[in-house]
Amino acid sequence: MKKYLTVFKISFAQEFAYPINLIFWRIRNIFQIILLYFLWSSVFENTSGEIFGYSKEKILTYIFGIIVLKAFVFSTKTNDIAGDISRGDLVNYLLKPISYFKYWFSRDIASKSLNLVFSFFEITILFLVLKPQVYIQKDLLDLCIFLFFLLLAVFLFFLILMLTNLITFWAPEAGWSSQFLIIIILSEFFSGAVFPIDILPQFLQRYIYLTPFPYLIFIPLQVYLGKVETLVLYKSILVSFFWIGILIILLKLMWQKGLKRFEGAGR
Amino acid sequence: MKKIFYYFNIWILMSRNSFMSYLSNKLVISIFLIGKILRFIFFFAFIYFLISKTKNLAGYNLNQTIFFFLTFNLVDITTQFFFREAYKFRQLLVTGDFDLMLIKPVNVLFRVLMGGADLLDFITIPAIFIAVVIYGKFLEPSFFQILIYILLMINAFIIAASFHIIILAFGILTLEVDNTIMIYRDLMSLGKFPVDIYLKPLKEILTFLIPVGLIATLPSKALMGLLTTRVVLFSFFIGFFLIFVSLKFWAFALRKYSSASS
Repeated sequence: MKKYLTVFKISFAQEFAYPINLIFWRIRNIFQIILLYFLWSSVFENTSGEIFGYSKEKILTYIFGIIVLKAFVFSTKTNDIAGDISRGDLVNYLLKPISYFKYWFSRDIASKSLNLVFSFFEITILFLVLKPQVYIQKDLLDLCIFLFFLLLAVFLFFLILMLTNLITFWAPEAGWSSQFLIIIILSEFFSGAVFPIDILPQFLQRYIYLTPFPYLIFIPLQVYLGKVETLVLYKSILVSFFWIGILIILLKLMWQKGLKRFEGAGR
Repeated sequence: MKKIFYYFNIWILMSRNSFMSYLSNKLVISIFLIGKILRFIFFFAFIYFLISKTKNLAGYNLNQTIFFFLTFNLVDITTQFFFREAYKFRQLLVTGDFDLMLIKPVNVLFRVLMGGADLLDFITIPAIFIAVVIYGKFLEPSFFQILIYILLMINAFIIAASFHIIILAFGILTLEVDNTIMIYRDLMSLGKFPVDIYLKPLKEILTFLIPVGLIATLPSKALMGLLTTRVVLFSFFIGFFLIFVSLKFWAFALRKYSSASS
């Protein structure tokens, strides 16, 4: 445990080695939120009721929630693994007395912590500038369930990203492209990080809920907004655990098979 | 005229090389292409389902909102198709390879800006163009409105080129290219929807100061017959002004260039 704490500390310090990159990355996130904020404000301009089951207050909370959840769930360092495998740098880690997965998870936590701090600053600034009406969840139980889903989301995303990176064992040149497709496109859209999934037709929603993606952003935010019925809540927990289980099995399988295939080119 | 042919031939040659480089890895290009198409479809679906329910966005109906989105994509993708090489500029600077370009008998700005056309965008441009034509027809524009739309699209392209030149010049002075170009792209993405959705003063900032509106919103508004002659003329003036300033800035940055490794 102590060595992973050290990894966390070093990784946290490393984030400050390239502060410009971090600051630019956070600015980019703000632009995305500004677009969504004004889009939804415009949608609600001529109505005082609900649209797609959201009041203006709740949809703006959803938009601001995206900032925090993306900072916590999507912030990662694990995307460097593809490069490690294709360049052969993975060898360096295999020789060390550490678990490769725990090492990257520790680095992810460092990245998430820093991004989370930044996201709170951003939210404060946006709040002061835009002065939006937001929904504050006061039910302690809902808040606890929200935090529980957040933890599940972190594990799920880590597993999805790990598996995506391990594709590099079989296709060394496809590291970045597979991350683009699975993480940037599929995860962002199907997780509800661009728009709430429940604006889509029912039949599409049913298929999306079967994938692991909605449990990264959408479901935790629905829990926070108090929009999830008990039955759906249990179902969501079950599906999340199902995917965590499946992805762990897949990860072990791909890791074992991948290592056998790994040649450590150039090392 | 002779010079234009000279540069056109060079561009064809560089683009062919770039396409061949892309095609050397069919798996990667296929994955990226699928990703780009999916992103477009998902966003299109979002707009479709949203406006189908709300009936309008900032006073624009479904077809108009989709047309704004398609026009934004046409400008964005065309710009990326021509200027993709700009994304590799930092590497040239930090390795010192930029020196090798300075000694060649080709305008160096032309080389670093247009030296590697993007095959993925080349594939997607026709589909977006057809979609723009189809949705444009739904808006029943007059010949004059279509003409102004085309002229404003050319102006949008010139403004986008100016921004790329400014980013490259800024890169020479600071070695910072990748982040600035991504910030530029994020700013441009605010034009996916008509700038009318933004509140004052953001709307004015996005229209005139950071002319996202001139690039993405104004051409579409011209096709819908919603622009005054004054605004059209002003947007051409901004286009002219920006290209002038960007070229001056590029010349200034080039004089300050000190080679990295040679």
